[in-house]
Amino acid sequence: MTILRRLWTPRDGREPLSVPDALRRAELRRREGRYAEAGALVARALEIDAGNLHAHLLAAYLHVARRATAPAKEEFHWVLGHDPNHARALLGLARIAFEERDTRTCHDLLRRALRFYPEFPEASALLELVRAREAAPPAPVAPAVPSAPRVERLRLPGTGRALIIGRADGGLIASQPVTDDAKDVSEALARMLHVATAVLRRAALGPLHRAIVQDGRDAVFTRTDGELVVSLALPRATDPTQGLLDVNRLWSATQHELGLAAGPPAAAPSSTPADTPGAAPTRRVS
Amino acid sequence: MSGPRLKLALEHDSASRGRHVRDIVQELKRLYGVRGALIVAPDGFVIAAELPGTVEVDSLAALAATLGRELETSATRMGRPSFSTALFSADDGTMFLAASRIGYIVVLAEAQVSVQAIRVALADAIALIEAAWAPGEATG
Repeated sequence: MTILRRLWTPRDGREPLSVPDALRRAELRRREGRYAEAGALVARALEIDAGNLHAHLLAAYLHVARRATAPAKEEFHWVLGHDPNHARALLGLARIAFEERDTRTCHDLLRRALRFYPEFPEASALLELVRAREAAPPAPVAPAVPSAPRVERLRLPGTGRALIIGRADGGLIASQPVTDDAKDVSEALARMLHVATAVLRRAALGPLHRAIVQDGRDAVFTRTDGELVVSLALPRATDPTQGLLDVNRLWSATQHELGLAAGPPAAAPSSTPADTPGAAPTRRVS
Repeated sequence: MSGPRLKLALEHDSASRGRHVRDIVQELKRLYGVRGALIVAPDGFVIAAELPGTVEVDSLAALAATLGRELETSATRMGRPSFSTALFSADDGTMFLAASRIGYIVVLAEAQVSVQAIRVALADAIALIEAAWAPGEATG
């Protein structure tokens, strides 16, 4: 509440507004993505009625919308302190727990929500996602590949910035260049693909095969078959078609080196010159 | 947030941005090869949606917001810039996800849709949102 007031201090000379009116207007602003205005109205409602559960719930939503996790948790907990079975607050906290990689807490909160409100599609969808994640075996230390891989022979395209070869469970098979955080990147990649797979399934689009994620620096091209993951970071400006060609080439080469493909690696050329033999070696994690 | 900015937003834009956001989704839906589109807040709240009747909106929105947050939180953990757009290609279609100041824009399209065309449309949509939502709006 203190943080909310600090962020959205109401202006002076404002018109009189009842708590229900303020919250109704706040809901409307929220529906339009006008979070700051909604927050100001919620703050006004809470000034009049500090114990208003709806206002605290709205405050929590608005904090989440602004990616402010800590105050959102505080508000959701406040709501649950007054209504321990409040399904929306339970879902809100479950979502935050998922973000914080606290799968067990997320699972427990969703089950609590669904116990009282079995017809809760958002909670059901998230629980399905969490259960699928829990069902996946933990990433083993050694890669589960049928034969000794020779991934050190793989080469990045000339503009390639990083290559991650991993499994869908997050286990790292190899990386290039050698970095300490490659294992974390592989796990994060697998987790993201797992969520994306759930979204695609929910949209009836079928199993995930390729992904391109762009940020301010890179475009990360990924190919997967649900077991193996090959991910290549290229400059952001890379043409999507060329990036997909590059990752396809590495996919085929990886399958060949791992003994997963019968034939030789695909001969699709890279758009850019391959690294010289003296370039950074690929690290095999085994 | 400054007083004058809030006043301007409250007095002049009270209804227009609600229509505006729906227009953005409808424009995306009209693109060739696009099956549906939605804008979902980071908390999973559906701001606007134009989806096929076979898709359960709230569930999809909840998962799409989870995916958007996953991309953001992973980037933060890795010390990387947050994602701007993402594309996920599957057997029966392609999903696009773009980050905006009010939430995530999701486009569901045919598998063979023009990636470039959708990317340009998403960039336009984000620019429209940026223009319509004052810089102080989503940040307070």
